[in-house]
Amino acid sequence: MSDITTTLRERARALMEDGTIAAFIGWEAGRFERQTTPLICLDAADTDRLIFDEYCVNTTAKYVRDLKQRGRIGVAVRGCDSRAINRMIEDNQFKREDVYLLGIPCPQMNDRKTGTVLNKCQDCAHRNPVTYDELLGEAMEETAPQDRYARAHLVSGLDRIARQNIFNMAFERCIRCYACRDVCPCCTCRTCFVDQRNVGWLGKQDNLSENRFYGMIRAFHISDRCIECGECERACPMDLPLMAINKKLVEDMNTLFGEYESGMTTDNEDALRSFSKTDLEEFE
Amino acid sequence: MPEIEIAHGCANGGEPFIPQVCRIKEIIPETHDVKTFRLTTLDGKRPFDSKPGQFGLLSFISEGECVFVISGFGEDYIQFTVKKVGRVTTRLHQMEVGEQVGVRGPFGNWFPYESCKGMDMLFIAGGIGMPPVRSFAQYCIDHREDYGHIDYVYSASTYADLVCKEDLFENWPKVPDMNVYVSVYHASEESEKKGLTESYTAPFLETLGIEASENRAAVVCGGPSLYRTCSESLKKLGFADDHVVTTLEMRMKCGVGKCGRCNIGSHFICLDGPVFTRAEIAQMYTTA
Amino acid sequence: MILKDEMLDSLLTELSKEQIVYVPKQVNGTTRFAPYVSSDKMKLDQVNTVMPPKDLLFPQTQNMYHYGVEKNSGNMFIDPVIESADQILFGVRSCDMRSFDCLDAAFLTKGYIDEFYQAKRDRLTTIAIGCTEVSETCFCESMGQDPNHAPQADIQLRHGEGGYNVTAQTEKGEALLEKFKPFCEEGEVEVADVHCTLNVDASNIKDNLDILHESHELWDSMSYKCLNCGTCTFVCPTCYCFDIDQENRCKEGVRFRCWDSCMFSEYTAMAGGHNPRPEKRDRVRNRFMHKLNYFEDRYGKMLCVGCGRCIEKCPVSLDITVLIDRANELAQAEETEAAHA
Repeated sequence: MSDITTTLRERARALMEDGTIAAFIGWEAGRFERQTTPLICLDAADTDRLIFDEYCVNTTAKYVRDLKQRGRIGVAVRGCDSRAINRMIEDNQFKREDVYLLGIPCPQMNDRKTGTVLNKCQDCAHRNPVTYDELLGEAMEETAPQDRYARAHLVSGLDRIARQNIFNMAFERCIRCYACRDVCPCCTCRTCFVDQRNVGWLGKQDNLSENRFYGMIRAFHISDRCIECGECERACPMDLPLMAINKKLVEDMNTLFGEYESGMTTDNEDALRSFSKTDLEEFE
Repeated sequence: MPEIEIAHGCANGGEPFIPQVCRIKEIIPETHDVKTFRLTTLDGKRPFDSKPGQFGLLSFISEGECVFVISGFGEDYIQFTVKKVGRVTTRLHQMEVGEQVGVRGPFGNWFPYESCKGMDMLFIAGGIGMPPVRSFAQYCIDHREDYGHIDYVYSASTYADLVCKEDLFENWPKVPDMNVYVSVYHASEESEKKGLTESYTAPFLETLGIEASENRAAVVCGGPSLYRTCSESLKKLGFADDHVVTTLEMRMKCGVGKCGRCNIGSHFICLDGPVFTRAEIAQMYTTA
Repeated sequence: MILKDEMLDSLLTELSKEQIVYVPKQVNGTTRFAPYVSSDKMKLDQVNTVMPPKDLLFPQTQNMYHYGVEKNSGNMFIDPVIESADQILFGVRSCDMRSFDCLDAAFLTKGYIDEFYQAKRDRLTTIAIGCTEVSETCFCESMGQDPNHAPQADIQLRHGEGGYNVTAQTEKGEALLEKFKPFCEEGEVEVADVHCTLNVDASNIKDNLDILHESHELWDSMSYKCLNCGTCTFVCPTCYCFDIDQENRCKEGVRFRCWDSCMFSEYTAMAGGHNPRPEKRDRVRNRFMHKLNYFEDRYGKMLCVGCGRCIEKCPVSLDITVLIDRANELAQAEETEAAHA
């Protein structure tokens, strides 16, 4: 058992026993080799099932929303998890004092089938948690990714038709299970526009035009808030290249509104929700 | 004890999903947000025969299908009494006489009007729970000699929300051996002028001195809280669970037990219901 | 009768002259059953396709009828669209074959026949291939299937060294076998049985779930991590729930039905705002109960065939076999407790 797992269990148990937290969110082993699954501990005894290894692929911060009425919630956070927490705090989902964060520097997660680094972890710039109450283990030296927007190259630089072809290829196979939305820490609307059936923004038929409309609206809606965790793409059962679209939008946000990374603090000025006199005004 | 029958069939035979086109023959405003729509086929016939308690689905160009209980029928029409609640019902309320709609049905089982023959009847309805109960009550009134004494207890939020006022205050009081009791939750000038009690349904029901007997069946329809409180009152009055009949509501899409959403455990409300005795409902929830 | 590997393409080319032949293949970044074209690289030896073949009979979006206003009379018209074509499903596995039994029960029994489903079902011929490999998530044997053999299929193929053994199992299969003959030769290849590596005891699961009441802690612990997305329901070969909706263009439109998911809160939400299954817990419970208890109660069979797609694709690894194991364990505990009390 790794040292981190041992410390994680000890600390989670101690925090639950002394009443600091009402629940703890981490990972446990799944049924299959190298498989992990999110674990929500409601009891100190549950903490013995916690594990941490290089196959903890889920970003779990979103469960805080379901649990917050129980009291303060403990969460094991890596870089991406901590940014998700910041993001949700900024989006008024809960307050910083509602969570107790056990930070874990991330060794980068692997795909359990291939054993190689998970796609979503490949261009990670923040493996250390950006906010925490305790740090388990030594912070590691961050290596900036060679190209933050590597994934965006699938669509950037293409002409309109070529780009549209790529979107069409992708959304043609979308089954609209909404896993991308449900797993996304930015998707916290009380009622998502796709569920506003009385307004009828989106038809329920599964076809290219409705699928593309859903995917694009979602991408735009989180464009200035995306924390680049890549969970949407990992969750997608149809392997849509969702991060290519998200990264492209993040790149655009950076180009148009200045250097910016979402979820690094809780007092960001989100590009599309704040006003500055130097903002681009293309429609003069 | 009332036995509830189940039959499967619809006017369109082998095509239960395909509606028939009907024309709105008449619109009767009931309250500020409830209207009764009488529908007839394009050649002026009754779209289909239905039994009290069965439901149909209405659809229009531009809006989706919605389930309504068939609140009554005449020589050449069937009628639906609809409260304006959501998108589809709002659209329906904007329609005018002569406009056309799609109708499919009749679906579901019906009130046990056969096995209740010879029994005293107690009808209890709240708000927009009136139309289903009315369909059964009207059947009893139309076949007056087949049934014993009839009590009809009806409540709504205010006087303005009372549906089928003509029946309540004009027609039914003239029916032999039938008592009509009306209460409102919030009294107003009009309700006082009519001499209506200000009371919720369940406590009102308990003051009426109606006694349970082997030979009296109760029929209840209203919102979840009315159902809950009236069930308790009926129990207090001594009604056995298999003498209390109600009609349930769930979101439905297909009406024929295929689309899956209206289940309670392994029962489908649209196919095995919507009419159940209280005993059946209790059984359904213990196995769900 | 043997169908040699090298004859397969010629056979499929011949078959697809008259009918649409659906084969498992890689299409646009995913695997599914799609019409055969002669240059295809099929995926016959791989484990299950990502998408089940249910969309052949029950498409994700299916038009039911067109409606609108007739220009001359001003009357509303309704034109049913009942599509059907001769289709061959080639290379289907035992689990997916068994899923058609479930769909048949749901769509063709209990009072009403679904005309849209039936039109397609009547004209479908199925050619099953016994599995030569199982994935870690395959548990069809636990749900009563044999991965090597699908008794419901019209024709059964089994792969061995160099070719397939061909057996017709129904009248429809016998008829189609005539088409096979020119491409086949006498004899038999040796085949080896495969078995699932994931095994659970589902023999008493219905009764065990009856013992565990609605308020049981099991449903809390099983539902915490669910995201309420529709992945499990959409990749499931037996999930058949649908919604009916329409698309309008001025005074015309089409009413269609489309797959719906009991995992969505909107699924049961009523016009007045009431929702009988408001919480994630209620919906997770309803899905598992529908699979393992309610459907059996109503139609006499499980609504789970053990294909393992939901286990494979669930973003949070919510696992129906874990539920089965835990329910067995807890029900046993409850019974022991009841016996002592």
